[in-house]
Amino acid sequence: MSAELFHQIWVAGAMGLVGAIVFAAIGLVSGTDETTTLAPLTLLVVLLGVPAAGVFTFFLAGAVAKHMTHAVPTALLGIPGDTLATPLLQDANALRKLGVPHIALRKMISGAIVAAFVAVPLAVLFAVMLAPFGPTITKAAPWIFLAAAVLIAYFSPGRWASVALLLPFVVLIIALQTLTAKYNVKLSVSYFLGIAIGPLVADLFSVISPADRGRMKRDQPRTFQLAPDVKGWSGYFPNPLKVLDRKQTQWTLATATISSATFVFSPVAMTVVLGELVGSRIKHAYHRLTTVLAARNGVTEATYIAEALIPLIAFGLPLSPVAAGPAAPLFNAPPRFTVDAATGQTHNLHNLMNHWEFLGYGMLAVLLAAVVSYPFAMNFARRAALFVSRKVSHEAIIATFIGLIFVISVWEGQFLGLLVIMTMGLVGGLLSRILGFNTGVQFMGYYTAVLSVPALLKIFG
Amino acid sequence: MRSDSASPPRQLVEVWGDTADTRHLAWAIVIGIGISLTGFLIASRILVAHVSSPELARAYAMLAGLAGCVLSGVICAFIFQPKRDVVEGAASDPAWREEVVAQLAEEHGGLGSMDDLPPVVAREMKELEIYELFAQHDPAHATNRKAAP
Repeated sequence: MSAELFHQIWVAGAMGLVGAIVFAAIGLVSGTDETTTLAPLTLLVVLLGVPAAGVFTFFLAGAVAKHMTHAVPTALLGIPGDTLATPLLQDANALRKLGVPHIALRKMISGAIVAAFVAVPLAVLFAVMLAPFGPTITKAAPWIFLAAAVLIAYFSPGRWASVALLLPFVVLIIALQTLTAKYNVKLSVSYFLGIAIGPLVADLFSVISPADRGRMKRDQPRTFQLAPDVKGWSGYFPNPLKVLDRKQTQWTLATATISSATFVFSPVAMTVVLGELVGSRIKHAYHRLTTVLAARNGVTEATYIAEALIPLIAFGLPLSPVAAGPAAPLFNAPPRFTVDAATGQTHNLHNLMNHWEFLGYGMLAVLLAAVVSYPFAMNFARRAALFVSRKVSHEAIIATFIGLIFVISVWEGQFLGLLVIMTMGLVGGLLSRILGFNTGVQFMGYYTAVLSVPALLKIFG
Repeated sequence: MRSDSASPPRQLVEVWGDTADTRHLAWAIVIGIGISLTGFLIASRILVAHVSSPELARAYAMLAGLAGCVLSGVICAFIFQPKRDVVEGAASDPAWREEVVAQLAEEHGGLGSMDDLPPVVAREMKELEIYELFAQHDPAHATNRKAAP
């Protein structure tokens, strides 16, 4: 028994370390969206047959590590590291122009590490509190997804247009499912990845089209100012509580707690709103900038952890934007993990791990990410940013992602998979760019098609 | 910084948040698809014959495909130079600093008074040599400052 447990912890530790290292590196590359990177790699780990605890630590250590290193391009180059780094950009830019970008960076990463450590136990606690309602919620899942889709659509940039767009978008998904079903092919990852990579697919089509190319043309390459760095501590591992002042620590803890509880909202929205809340409470502009940055990056960690953990522990259903997107393979990765739409039956990490395991392995994952990512980002941020911006061309990044969509879609459904991923990507990307029907709403649209529509048909069919 | 005026005219476009050259982009896509997909297809052929369970064979084939993705990225990074100008060092432009302070003063909440700063933060600002910058602007904006709730 104890030998088995030891083996499990060993596997979980090793997978967590791999996740932390891989995603600390990916975080340095600007524009690498969480969903496009976390979802396929986690899926791969699931399908390779890694034990449940290992899958979990891989995902969580990866997410936590990425949300620390994403601060590097954001602070030093002024380009957001990923989607969740966008709300941090304005304040980070202000500090960059003041000539102190390293301060922006340190406050952000220190906020992240503090928040990550408190978010795991809080998320588990909230999940345990919600768990008794699990069966009720599971039964009502199709309707909750429908309501959540409408709500998230309304709060997207497209407002009522997004709400109305849910209908044709869901019809498109059902049409594609019907098409592939004719050839006995059932796809899920291709839809996700198509939605996630949509903006790239839409941009590539625009570049080919003479009608739209003009909008994309540029006369000059983009210019980035890379500011000098100053090391303000001795040794390799700085103390985050000394990097933040007392008020900053308090605000980071407070916002991390709030965002751990509000797991159904979009992480970007939570990052913006809680940042504003903190900002309104700090009187001096400089102190406001640094405190808001620490708290906001803390929120990017806490909301990710909570949005993945709470639905996973309490319901086993992907009932949050993160669970429906980047964390999707923890819930649904057929044939190993499944969510049955009709009955609400699940077989995934929810069934394979207990509360204490979630807590223990969650803390292990955060610890590993902290050990790998925190000192690395604090000590080598500038050199890393310089390397990426000087050596890694955007063409190379695009080549990697195009390769990724081809491999994953052909792997899942041969030629049909490729057709689905292209269609979803193009339509989703254009809708997001032109009408503000963003990827978060599109993920909910997918779940509406898979879960709510069959339930609706049962009533009216 | 570098001038590429000697080389044939570049067709720069902004795709997915950064600049790329259209011809390089086309080649990068060909290389990306070529290597990744070939890696995946060859691996699935070989593995189906040699690995016991077909599910596992498929998973390993995907791993080979993903290795192909990374490989094509590395190859493209070697062939195609980034289209970015990175300007290094140089303390920030004094004009920039003034601009930021003016911007902050207009935002909700204004610049705030130096008296509101906790001593730790004041010390941090002095170390960073931005204390004076904010202090200069204090009296001018003190009257506009909204009372904090």
